[in-house]
Amino acid sequence: MKRVSVDIGGTFTDCFVVWGQQYIETKALTTHHNLAMGFNEALGKACKTLGLELEEILGEVDSVRYATTLGTNALIEHKGPKIGMLVTAGYEATVPLSRARGYGEGLDNMGQQDMPNAQRPDPLVEPHMIYGVRERLDFQGNLVMPLDEEDVRRQLRGLVDRGAQIIVVALVNSVVNPAHEQRIEEIVLEEYPSHLLGAIPVILSHQVAGRKGEYVRATSAIVDGYLHSTMYHALSALEQNLRAHKYEKPMLVIHNSGGMAQLNSTDALQTIHSGPVSGIGASEHLSLQAALGNVVATDMGGTSYDIGIVVEGGIKHYDFNPVIDRWLVSVPMVHLVTLGAGGGSIASYDRMYKTVKCGPESAGSDPGPACYDRGGMRPTVTDADLLLGYLDAENYAGGSIPLNPRRAKAAIEDALCDELDCSVIEAAKLVREKVDDNMANGLFTELRARGYDPKDFTMLAYGGNGPLHCCGIAQNLSIDKILAPPLSSVFSAVGAGNMHQLHIHEQSLYMVLYDSNTRHIFDDYDRFNAIVAELKEKGTQDLLRQGVPLDQIRHDLELDMRYGNQLVQTTAVIPAHEVHGPGDVLAIISQFSNDYGKRFGEGSQAPEAGIRINTIRVAAYAKHETVQFEDIKPLPKPARKAPPAPQSHRTCHFVGHDGAFETPVWARSAIEPGVEIEGPAIVASEVTTFLVNPGWTYVAAKQGASWFLRNEAPVTRH
Amino acid sequence: MNEMTIRGKLPSAEEITLIKKFLDDTTLFLGPDPEIMQNHDIMPRTAIEDAAIAQVSDAHTVAKIRDRIQAGCDEGYEMVEQMGAAPGAKWGDVITGVYSASGDLAIASAGGVLIFSALVHHPIKFIIKNWMNDPTVGVKEGDGFIHNDSRYGNVHNTDQSMIIPIFHKGKLVCWVASTVHEGENGAIEPGGMPSMAESPSDEGLKMSPFKVVENYQIKRDILTFLQNSVREPKLQYEDMKVKLFACLRIKQRIEETLNSDGPEALMATLRLTMENVRAEVKRRISEWPDMTVRTYIIQDSTLRENCVVKINCKLTKTGDRLIFDFRGSSPEFTNRATNTIVAGLKGMLAQVFLCYVWPDLPRGQAAFAPIEVITDPHSIVNCSYDAPNSQSLMSIFTGFTAGQHAVAKFLYSCPEKFTKVHAPTFNMINTFIWGGVSQHGETLGNLCADLNGMGAGATANRDGEHALAPIFATMADIGEQELNEEEVPFLQLVSKKMTRDAIAPGKYRGGQGYTMMVATKDSEQWGFMTTAQGAKIPPIQGLFGGYACGTYPLSKVKNVDVYDVLMNQPEKFRHSIEEIMNEQPFEEASYSTHHMGMGFEISKRGELFMISQGAGAGYGDLLERDPVSVIKDIEEGLMSPEVAARLYKVVFDPKTLAIDFDATEAARAAERQARIARSVPYAEFIKGWNQPKPPAHLQYFGCWGDDVGTLYMGSADVTRRGDQPRPNYMMHPKDVRIAELEARLEAVGAMGNEKK
Repeated sequence: MKRVSVDIGGTFTDCFVVWGQQYIETKALTTHHNLAMGFNEALGKACKTLGLELEEILGEVDSVRYATTLGTNALIEHKGPKIGMLVTAGYEATVPLSRARGYGEGLDNMGQQDMPNAQRPDPLVEPHMIYGVRERLDFQGNLVMPLDEEDVRRQLRGLVDRGAQIIVVALVNSVVNPAHEQRIEEIVLEEYPSHLLGAIPVILSHQVAGRKGEYVRATSAIVDGYLHSTMYHALSALEQNLRAHKYEKPMLVIHNSGGMAQLNSTDALQTIHSGPVSGIGASEHLSLQAALGNVVATDMGGTSYDIGIVVEGGIKHYDFNPVIDRWLVSVPMVHLVTLGAGGGSIASYDRMYKTVKCGPESAGSDPGPACYDRGGMRPTVTDADLLLGYLDAENYAGGSIPLNPRRAKAAIEDALCDELDCSVIEAAKLVREKVDDNMANGLFTELRARGYDPKDFTMLAYGGNGPLHCCGIAQNLSIDKILAPPLSSVFSAVGAGNMHQLHIHEQSLYMVLYDSNTRHIFDDYDRFNAIVAELKEKGTQDLLRQGVPLDQIRHDLELDMRYGNQLVQTTAVIPAHEVHGPGDVLAIISQFSNDYGKRFGEGSQAPEAGIRINTIRVAAYAKHETVQFEDIKPLPKPARKAPPAPQSHRTCHFVGHDGAFETPVWARSAIEPGVEIEGPAIVASEVTTFLVNPGWTYVAAKQGASWFLRNEAPVTRH
Repeated sequence: MNEMTIRGKLPSAEEITLIKKFLDDTTLFLGPDPEIMQNHDIMPRTAIEDAAIAQVSDAHTVAKIRDRIQAGCDEGYEMVEQMGAAPGAKWGDVITGVYSASGDLAIASAGGVLIFSALVHHPIKFIIKNWMNDPTVGVKEGDGFIHNDSRYGNVHNTDQSMIIPIFHKGKLVCWVASTVHEGENGAIEPGGMPSMAESPSDEGLKMSPFKVVENYQIKRDILTFLQNSVREPKLQYEDMKVKLFACLRIKQRIEETLNSDGPEALMATLRLTMENVRAEVKRRISEWPDMTVRTYIIQDSTLRENCVVKINCKLTKTGDRLIFDFRGSSPEFTNRATNTIVAGLKGMLAQVFLCYVWPDLPRGQAAFAPIEVITDPHSIVNCSYDAPNSQSLMSIFTGFTAGQHAVAKFLYSCPEKFTKVHAPTFNMINTFIWGGVSQHGETLGNLCADLNGMGAGATANRDGEHALAPIFATMADIGEQELNEEEVPFLQLVSKKMTRDAIAPGKYRGGQGYTMMVATKDSEQWGFMTTAQGAKIPPIQGLFGGYACGTYPLSKVKNVDVYDVLMNQPEKFRHSIEEIMNEQPFEEASYSTHHMGMGFEISKRGELFMISQGAGAGYGDLLERDPVSVIKDIEEGLMSPEVAARLYKVVFDPKTLAIDFDATEAARAAERQARIARSVPYAEFIKGWNQPKPPAHLQYFGCWGDDVGTLYMGSADVTRRGDQPRPNYMMHPKDVRIAELEARLEAVGAMGNEKK
């Protein structure tokens, strides 16, 4: 297999090239003004390794795939066109009011609780650019008030006169009857034909999101409209660059649904967070190939701790209403949780409880931790890690950031030692313990809320600070296996290299499988089958349009279901895609009951209150050949090798252990696969530090993978 | 017992014992216990807690365990919010928490409704005191207790709690509870908050704490009884189960801590958490300036009739004591539902501090524990057992605002601020409560989540946010109409459109409210009610020169099927109350306005009911508002140009909205001069303004002037002493109307032979 996959992040463009049996990881700085330059540089490094020209590689690879955080950055930077919006009259304030709670979406708990400081983010559409049009449909799509076309034309002109560069249309109940939205699009084309220079793009909400919820669908359409032009130009430039270098196949773009599609089948909203989602995709792929079972993927960087779940059996965890930046939207996105904990998290004295608190405030990278010596005065997790002996002050981040221990010491002394009446080392240990506890609690809640027990999981630890903190976190969770994955420095790009082409189509509906009032069991099989067939057809057409042969197209059917009038919708994966009798209906009910019981506790099911389907979803996909990892499982103990002599020793301190440990230090490059090292130990690479706590064993595996194995059965704490 | 006398003499000790035994043996029933209900402080340390703290008191260990339990509470909260069937559960009108063995709420979920944090401990203490050692009840592993009667500790009886004890090796170590605003409770009106209730008997289910779960199973016989007692048996069933499973999930977390760290660590953590928070609150209070602030809020109805009801508040800080004195507030209404138990008032005052003063404090009972509250007995803010209180929100919300308004004056002068100084938030539940049979044939009773869209008060440096949150919760949701319409047979024809000129101006204006217009469509058995005050007198006050909000009446259009209009003559429909009521576009229809206490009313298809959510208060002098902000408000449909020009003295071209800054400055200077010209010396003002008694034409309730010891009871001639309760009955509004009509008939000699 020959393939190029890329993750374009805010700082680095990561590139992963598969060239037969060779796997090459490269990086270059992201060039925001022209993404192709960073891409070419990163790929150029791979060319050098392979001794080939850019055109030779691009002419032979089966695909080039992109994951990118560009959309997220554009949202944060608030760079987008002036949007004009048409909504159902009487709903003009729906978006500005953001369901009331919009002030706190994307904020931490403190930001959500502090009401006098509550402030909605700057809007993507100014309130005076939202006009109502006279029309109305009911929940079944029946006409309540006909569309007043003259009114539409009048409002449209008003928006254009006010400078609208793009029109977003979001009408109530348009997902069950899109006729009015479609007619408005026609009117826009009549008024501003596409062949004229004054043509205006139109985004229809029902085409962006298929679910009910007029606010979340409207914000989805807005975000999509807001990013459309930025993403289109950036990704088109990349495609042009590929064409210029002899790549003649379609460029593939990673979606936040965990799949990918060609550029012409991608809308901007689907690209948001595709980088981190690719990381979870890589975890899933690794889990399958290495038979890891359940995996919790954790990415700890400087400011955040991202968590994703991959479980056996193929159950996907989606957020159907994820928060993107500060906006609640409606798009099926691979579930990803971000906690405010990282190396830059600031530690302070908790006056009330007479202990240490840590985060969510972060020193970020500027000024960064006190030890960066860039003006940061407040102690951070990285300062604590440095004082505890884990970091090499002269070779941190490959030597690019010299660390100043005196600054770290002074910051911890000033902020913590006097108040806590303890030594610097004791205070640093408290900081370390606190941040690990915070992450463990977040991870625990995340898994438990979905009905999983952390001890049934292998933790994947990546990101700059992941392997440095993973033992401390796992210790709190009774997890006894941690894998720092292979190819971890370009892990998201690796994930992009393993995605399948995927399109998700869904329909909101009110379908009662069991009516508790009449005790009637659903029997409108034709309706169910017709909807499923239509959704399958949509997905099929998407893939056919991209040249996927019909016989390679597969479909998965998922139903979002609930008991009575609950908020929660539990997703049941249904193997049979058609129903033809009560047995099929009861099988669906049974599947739902099993999944619900696993999540909320056996016996918590309440079928007596009625059972409904709220959404039917079909994932249409075509599988591609995937990257084969080598056998990365740790060798059995007798087969493991002793390490070479350590390069040096450092004085380290560990939470839960008194006194100092003279801790051996190795360079990761000096450790061969199969080597076993007893903790406490440090294995350092250019991009991270593998800290092996006392009670843990480090085992090196192939392709740069590293295992942390707990020596004894864990004491159950959670 | 010490005051007991027999024939004028003190009984002997032996006699006292005998009498006490007789009285104990012949208790008719166990009503709310004043000893429990009047106390909001945390219980004294027990010997077991002392021993536990002697073993485990390391602050870092305690913090670690606390964080873990906090995560458990949050997990339970998320379960209730996700699994709950009640709309209240979905918008976060929920709390989950861990209570000490003595019943104090030590750690509560980070999300949810804070008022519960000061209320749910009462029923647990009742269980401890009365059922623990009762051979017919008892408390054992696997039990669960249900409760909703606010007289035993609750906001109102639409909230239901599930309470389970946690044992370790046979010993009670703590309690876990989960509380949800359920809505329907079988009262005389659907939706759980009847304003028609004239006695507690009209208020539906009144569950004192009783056992409903054994061996972690809900008892089917009791469940059946409860389902039969409400209009939504499905909801009753679903949510009892949800609350139980949320409690069980938290229990798991606690058991894991018990196994790893031991019961002493758990008990020490719960106790020290409360003590630390309490001490911190005392410390923070001590930094406030020593002074007294007086304020009041007026309720303009009982939800049945227009009247003037005073909530009187004096806030005094001295040393590390902070004392809310609500004496002088209206007497309780013997047959109106707007009374509250004092614990409800305290719960909302706790909310002032936890969300608007010290949002960094952890949630729990201890945050309000050291703050003192004084009230008159049998007053509207401390009602008696026999007074209905299903509409207690009217008094606890206005009490909240009185507190919020007074506290702002302290915060202004406080050296260390934990958030911004701000004007009061809008405080009324301007929403539609609904009930009947849905288009799917289901019997429903509940309310629109729009109550969560209360406008925020302006702050010291910016405008208030529109429709931000209810005063009782954060991160609450006003929902999605597309989802609501799937379940209920009415449409919000206007759902979220800013109500023009419904403002609270100021240098920084309050966050504004929005219009709601509803009309039943697909059911012949459907109706609405509204339960709010503020249709005639604003229920909040402005701050430092900012104005209060406007007033928000209910408007109705009857004798019309608006759905016919929308289909056949759509051009006639208007999307604002202002236009519909002023232009009256539907011929033959009748148009009317009302106060916001509409009793449950069956609505015919296509009749319009229209209300507006309210604005938060303004901050600072209007003449200091940036003219550019004034124009922005006009552009965004918040104000009409005429009102903007009149209030803010901004001069602009009404067509282009271009500001004439020089003319504006001149207009403002002239207004400042006019203010001086209008003003009079204070003594002169008092002389002309003060009246010795309330006006005779108003039904006025509460103290008048400086004499807070005398409470007026609807007339200038009828009073009571604050500390001497008297019944305070109101006539049925229909009887009042009949009497008026009969008087008119009699005056024109048309009574005929009919006797009065």
